[in-house]
Amino acid sequence: MRLIVHNMLSCNIRGVVNKFPLRIEPEKIIVKEVDFNPDFLKHMIAKIDWKALVDGARSMGYTELPDHAPDTTTLESDEPFLRKFHHSLLELHLEEGSLVCSETGRKFPVNKGIPNMLFHEDEV
Amino acid sequence: MILDVLRSIRTSSSSSTTTTTGGRIILQSFGFYSVSTSKMRDIKVKSDSRELITSSDEEEEAAAQIIESVSIREKEISSSSLSVKSTPEIEKKYVHRVYDAIAPHFSSTRFAKWPKVAAFLESLPCGSVILDAGCGNGKYLGLNPSCFFIGCDISHPLIKICSDKGQEVLVADAVNLPYREDFGDAAISIAVLHHLSTESRRKKAIEELVRVVKPGGFVLITVWAAEQEDTSLLTKWTPLSAKYVEEWVGPGSPMNSPRVRNNPFFSLESIPETEVSTKEQKADNSPFIGLESIPESEESTRELKETKASIVEQKEESLEALKKSQQEYFVPWHLPYHRAEVSGASASALATGLAKKDDRKGAVVYNRYYHVFSEGELERLASRVGNAMIVDRFYDKSNWCIVLQKAALNQD
Repeated sequence: MRLIVHNMLSCNIRGVVNKFPLRIEPEKIIVKEVDFNPDFLKHMIAKIDWKALVDGARSMGYTELPDHAPDTTTLESDEPFLRKFHHSLLELHLEEGSLVCSETGRKFPVNKGIPNMLFHEDEV
Repeated sequence: MILDVLRSIRTSSSSSTTTTTGGRIILQSFGFYSVSTSKMRDIKVKSDSRELITSSDEEEEAAAQIIESVSIREKEISSSSLSVKSTPEIEKKYVHRVYDAIAPHFSSTRFAKWPKVAAFLESLPCGSVILDAGCGNGKYLGLNPSCFFIGCDISHPLIKICSDKGQEVLVADAVNLPYREDFGDAAISIAVLHHLSTESRRKKAIEELVRVVKPGGFVLITVWAAEQEDTSLLTKWTPLSAKYVEEWVGPGSPMNSPRVRNNPFFSLESIPETEVSTKEQKADNSPFIGLESIPESEESTRELKETKASIVEQKEESLEALKKSQQEYFVPWHLPYHRAEVSGASASALATGLAKKDDRKGAVVYNRYYHVFSEGELERLASRVGNAMIVDRFYDKSNWCIVLQKAALNQD
């Protein structure tokens, strides 16, 4: 599971208010290189919840991201930032671990890189 | 729309080549093209498209012949929200377990990319995040190399197959997507909704697809049509019969509401098909229904009678609707013996009656539940989703298809 997916995952259990983001409890992390694509990254900046990305990356051991994303106008020329963004968004993989709902403590397991986000029948 | 000048196109192989270097796995899994085009291509179908006559891109096994003209009409009642929340038995047994058991074989037959789906995906802007809900073996994930695909499916074995191909996937339920709102640029649901056994679940799945895409984002949905192009292919479909009303009205159905289930005097467990067992029942019209030994207590007699009467009514209506338009089917899947042994799931499937052996064909036969859609049904369902508009609709290769667009944000 990459952080781009984590940035979207939400604990959509009935009655839960604080469903996003999920806290990452990693057990195994691997790094897989991916081709650098600045256009894609710029497209993603608008979508990404920055805090969730920073916190997620930190929990995976990557602390290079700034607390705030830079201005979109300067993004074009800020390759060092884009490289960090690229690395955290696309190259860090949670292979084994859990995604935890902050409000309910509900854990969603991640095995072999695959999150299991099935809700129980009494939860939805 | 203005087409930007093509920049140099960087190609990379979409096959994943892995080499390990000191613990790091180098994987080329995305080939992003540096092409900027923002034109949305028209995907209108040619009116006489008959490229391949198969019952659909999905099913190479199904032959066509309607055996009976019995049918079940969908019964929506006020407790339909319950059927949305809990997975009906018929789906657990005749969709989930089947796909889990047949996953590798199924995947090996799912390789042809349906041109209409490919066209939709290729029309999306570069860098789009595309959500595939019910992605199966991941056939369409990565089809447009300039986009980022995230797939989910309820079948873990199928998701494993996607994951082995380097795709970004998760296990999830299309009726309750674990995504926050407005994230995706587009979503697709290819041959999925017809496996949902109630109208409210099918509608919920459409609502979920719309919810998870951005305002203005597109959703493509395809489902099997009741109107099959080649009716001779329907020979092996089994229409849902009275025997399976029991399955269908298992947990998760309106007939299994807590009020009924929690009533200690009421048991739906053994509903004989042919017995007529209680006086309260309208015996004449429903030879298939029996409500077994329901003792009456003084306190709850009236309530019990009302409950039983309404249950009987619902079953009768279901069976009545059965006779009107046949849209509920079991479609077989033949899993060759050597495949069945490998998967291992078939032994218990055979033991429990979930699957049968066909020695003549050397295969274990599973049945998959389908609610095939009649003309206009998908549109009617989608039009009830508030914040989306139908922007395209077509019939292609025995599938009904629509494209929805989520309402854009209001600009004050």
